[in-house]
Amino acid sequence: MSNHWNRREFLKKTSSAAFAAMAAGMPTSLLNSCAAPTIPAKADTVILLWMAGGMAHTDTFDPKKYTPYEKGMQANSVLSTFKSLPTALDGIHFSEGLQSIGKVLNEGTLIRSYQAADLGFILHSRHQYNWHTCYEPPQTVAAPHIGSWIAKQLGPKNPVIPAFIDIGQRFTVGEAEELKAFHTAGFLGSEYGPFFIPDPSAGLDSVKPPVGMSYQRFEKRNQLYKDLISSSPMGEFGSDYQKESLQRTMEQAYRLLKSPESKAFDLSQEPKESYNIYNTGKFGLGCLLARRLTDQGARFISVTTEYEPFKGWDTHENGYTRLIEMKKQIDMPVAQLIKDLRQSGRLDRTMIILASEFSRDMMTEGRPGAKVKEQVDQPDIITDIKNYGMHRHFTDGCSILLFGGGVRKGFTYGKTADERPCKSIEKPIKIAQLHQTIYHALGIPQDTNYVIEERPFFTTPDGNGKAELELFA
Amino acid sequence: MTEQSIMTSFWLWQLLGRLHPLIVHFPISLLVVALIIEIYSWRKKDQTIRSGLYLILFIGTLTAIISCVFGILLKGQDEYTSNTLTIHQWTGIATAIMSIGTLYLFRLSGKRPQRIKVYRAFLVFTVLGVGVAGHLGASLTHGADYLTEVLPLQRNNAFSGDPNFDLTSFKNNSGSQQREDQIAAINIEVRSIFAHNCYKCHSAEKTKGQLRLDNKELVMRGGKHGEIIQPGHPEKSELIRRLLLPREDEESMPPKGKTLSEKEIAILDLWIKMGALWPADLNEKSIYRVAALAPRKPTVPTNDSALTNPIDHFVDTYFAEKKMAWPSRVDDRIFIRRIYLDLIGLLPLPEKIDSFIADTNLAKRELLVTELLNRDDDYAQHWLTFWNDALRNDYSGTGYITEGRFAITDWLYESLKNNKPYDQFVRELISPDKRSEGFIRGIQWRGTVNASQRVEMQAAQNISQVFLGLNLKCASCHDSFISDLKLSEAYAFANIFSDTTLEISRCDKPTGKMAGTKVIFSELGSVDSTLTVPEKLRQLAEFLTAPENGRLYRTIVNRVWAQLMGRGIVEPVDMMDNEPWSQDLLDWLASDFVEHKGDLKQLIFTITTSETYQLSSVGIKDENDIFSDNYTFRGMHRRRLTAEQFADAVSTIVAPIYPDTVRQYDPFKNAKTIEPFNYARASLVKNDIFLTALGRPNRENVSTSRSSQANLLQALELTNGSTFNNVLQVGANKWSEKYHNNEQIVNELYKMCLGRLPHEAEQKNALRVLAASPDGESVQDLMWSVLLLPEFQLIY
Repeated sequence: MSNHWNRREFLKKTSSAAFAAMAAGMPTSLLNSCAAPTIPAKADTVILLWMAGGMAHTDTFDPKKYTPYEKGMQANSVLSTFKSLPTALDGIHFSEGLQSIGKVLNEGTLIRSYQAADLGFILHSRHQYNWHTCYEPPQTVAAPHIGSWIAKQLGPKNPVIPAFIDIGQRFTVGEAEELKAFHTAGFLGSEYGPFFIPDPSAGLDSVKPPVGMSYQRFEKRNQLYKDLISSSPMGEFGSDYQKESLQRTMEQAYRLLKSPESKAFDLSQEPKESYNIYNTGKFGLGCLLARRLTDQGARFISVTTEYEPFKGWDTHENGYTRLIEMKKQIDMPVAQLIKDLRQSGRLDRTMIILASEFSRDMMTEGRPGAKVKEQVDQPDIITDIKNYGMHRHFTDGCSILLFGGGVRKGFTYGKTADERPCKSIEKPIKIAQLHQTIYHALGIPQDTNYVIEERPFFTTPDGNGKAELELFA
Repeated sequence: MTEQSIMTSFWLWQLLGRLHPLIVHFPISLLVVALIIEIYSWRKKDQTIRSGLYLILFIGTLTAIISCVFGILLKGQDEYTSNTLTIHQWTGIATAIMSIGTLYLFRLSGKRPQRIKVYRAFLVFTVLGVGVAGHLGASLTHGADYLTEVLPLQRNNAFSGDPNFDLTSFKNNSGSQQREDQIAAINIEVRSIFAHNCYKCHSAEKTKGQLRLDNKELVMRGGKHGEIIQPGHPEKSELIRRLLLPREDEESMPPKGKTLSEKEIAILDLWIKMGALWPADLNEKSIYRVAALAPRKPTVPTNDSALTNPIDHFVDTYFAEKKMAWPSRVDDRIFIRRIYLDLIGLLPLPEKIDSFIADTNLAKRELLVTELLNRDDDYAQHWLTFWNDALRNDYSGTGYITEGRFAITDWLYESLKNNKPYDQFVRELISPDKRSEGFIRGIQWRGTVNASQRVEMQAAQNISQVFLGLNLKCASCHDSFISDLKLSEAYAFANIFSDTTLEISRCDKPTGKMAGTKVIFSELGSVDSTLTVPEKLRQLAEFLTAPENGRLYRTIVNRVWAQLMGRGIVEPVDMMDNEPWSQDLLDWLASDFVEHKGDLKQLIFTITTSETYQLSSVGIKDENDIFSDNYTFRGMHRRRLTAEQFADAVSTIVAPIYPDTVRQYDPFKNAKTIEPFNYARASLVKNDIFLTALGRPNRENVSTSRSSQANLLQALELTNGSTFNNVLQVGANKWSEKYHNNEQIVNELYKMCLGRLPHEAEQKNALRVLAASPDGESVQDLMWSVLLLPEFQLIY
């Protein structure tokens, strides 16, 4: 059988199933049942908080010995550039500036032993591709984003909220083409692709009638469209799947744009007090939008600090100073997101993941024993504060936060060394395990695959990703 | 929920319904007994035996009526929907009515003995009814073949109806020749099932449970738990037992992924029953269909003298075989729109449509095809889209930032514009100069790359896929599960592109073995491994483009056919080993193409001037039907406008979507006079959200077909996306200024978009909106509505 056959059969199955599911409010995977045993789902929604650019573990969620800046200091002596402060968990410290998240750590799990892939000479977007698709580029076929797999397997939770929403990333920045390469549904087909909201404060524009068009006019236009179709002589040509899919999707779009749920995209509807807590910038407002969409029934949302080469977490210099800013951006909104979802009771069924493509270190580029071409000049003796910070890309020991969706509360998984190299020394976990852990929470089995060009393409390479069950309560 | 199922959902009704199979035995047996008594008393002239007959008939009739009622209660509960059920129901009811009649006539015959014959006839028919209804009922519960399957002659009936493999032929295995053929056939079928479902864990690549299924001796030897096959005894064979286990059982096979279909298990079962025969000489024979490599020129059948184009003769023969009449020819108005979009990707202007329709020249369609093919730049700008997809050439994309990728636009545009002979076109891509090397140089990301994606392997994969319709991707990681291709062959082919000998890696793990050097179809010639890369590539290009390589030419004519007709003669177009719906037509087109020195425009001319191309378009109800095994060709399939066709149409009718300033390539850079351009064609601009939503692929991989199924994200882009909305706004204002009355606007819009004036009802609807607010906004809304009409969006 050809890939077309399978693919199209699949489309047929899911499009009708998606429709039935919308009506019945149940996940498509149940309708699209395979013989494989099903896993009970612990979560219905996933929120990925993406720390784009490489977030140093030793300066965030896994602090080591603090050495304050001093002119003429030894670079090799610096493990952390911030103080360690206690969190809600006994014996667990976070780097200074993350106290709010520290206070809600009892709600989730801290992973301290993520190992990013070895991809040689570092390119951020390539590691991000790997993190988001579970595959290393290039691939012989276009690999889907994890959000697209989830959209395909489960469909939208609420039919008027797109199943895969991507908040905060613009594609007009450096490495934009590389970013586009994984912000896609790939071979699954564009219907499972991301719904982009590059600017959360303008989120409403994406789900309302075109700018400058009143709802009344929007209704009238739709009515005219329907009238013209019904008076068109082309009806006599009979039915055609393309014609029907066109009309059906136009109707869906119309319904979505005038649905009451579209208000969720409008941040100006949020009470001022709450808005202000989240408003630390674009990322903070992205968290607020994610919470509002979760309230209305979103399936997969990604909120990013936005990747732009040498900006955000991509600290090639001034690491210390810039991290003060980055922590301010994330600390309050992330903590508030957890608190809000806990209060509304949605945290139980919503899995939140905070992660980055890799970590950073002051000395090692790549990983110990597999060092790669250096990209940052790091003097051995630091005489300028701009050289004080974690500026090299470090792949062996990154921190990840998990909250909700059945994840254990107040749990720490894995460990990194306390001396340089601060690499994973206990329970290292890799991308395939992490992906399958997320899928597992959603009830998506390990052997989920899609036949493309006659071969099965699994959610994790060869279907080998195993869920880390220890992470679940 | 139907009314019936609501009625039956009450537990008591459900219970009574389920008593139907029990209660029916009363009327069956009682009525039959009544008939036996009647026959006995009639033959023996013994009246005494009839004394209890009334009671028997009475209870029989009563239970027959009850059975009917219970049966109807049962119907609502189960998911029986077949015809059998309907027939069963009505014969049951008829039988009950007949039994009432019988009972009445029996009473009557007591008073009037002359009526006894009528009564007896009624009884006979009632019992016949009972028999038929009873049998149908049993078929419903036990299955239609419950009885027949134990009959010796009917044994294999359950397997019939398989389109690929007809197991019914195994019924009469008399002649020894036939028997040999059958053994060969089922053996290949069995090995194919093993290959597709089991090789992944049970072959040379991976040998779980010490079991290998890729060779006779190893299959017969079994695995670590012993033999898996007992010839002649499927029921004692471990293989069958494992396949039939419930999925949750740990020993169930295959342990993950798709299970075997019933048909597949039935074939394995039959094969074992037949003795699990595996003739030694068959080990060599491929289990995959392999298309012939050599060119072949079939004689053109000339049964209908009215036809002139050879394509039509082949199709005429095809229709005759299928007992189909020629469908009707499309009218001029639809034809001109179709041919414009297919050849140059643009819509015809209203004046052009009118003059074409008015033209009385019988050869006007042919002349139009020639005229359009001669519009070199328009032709190139349209077909550029197809080739950019196929050669994964784009103005932006991954790899460019680290010089890991090169565009070939300049070379490609000129090649299309000058209609470069196809063999030369392919040679220049395989054995390139600076301008065309981008294709085989692949895409290189910074960092280390999986062995199966090194650029040499990308070149081998892409050349196989695009030019040969062959999937080399599986075999570049491990021996293929979908063809006979071996890992070593993929590496030997990739090695031609490498200046150092490649080491073979299996699933990204080095094997220590070095690759040989071999052309993928080695009968075409052998490349000298001692030569430099450019020399090796020159050799390879010569071998692959030689006329003896029929596959190269079949692949391209099939692609062009698919572009023009909405479906290839072979599908998918990248799998040229699949069976064409007409081998003769495919072979003839390919050899004719070679005879015309690979002239793509000539090929397009031949196809589009055929009656076959000019048939009315065919609507496909279900996208699956296009690719199903029993596909029947009936004419061109309706297609959605591509992203580029739609964008260009909007740019010409409404306002430019892409101003000339965003054009990435200047087709007229060598021209002496610069023609003014008011918009850039979408094939010449970078991909963006609008084009992506409408289906332009992200050209990181070769892409040879686009889905024309609409989806929600696309509809959202068209409904409120800023690109489209802004253009409509600009265009609407322009139109409101240009035209002075509403009628003119409606008429012009219909003519420009659909090539016709609006019908009365359409005009009325449109005018109503314009009259309400005669400003740019209502014109904009009208434009939006017309541009999204299926009539505009589809090529009819």
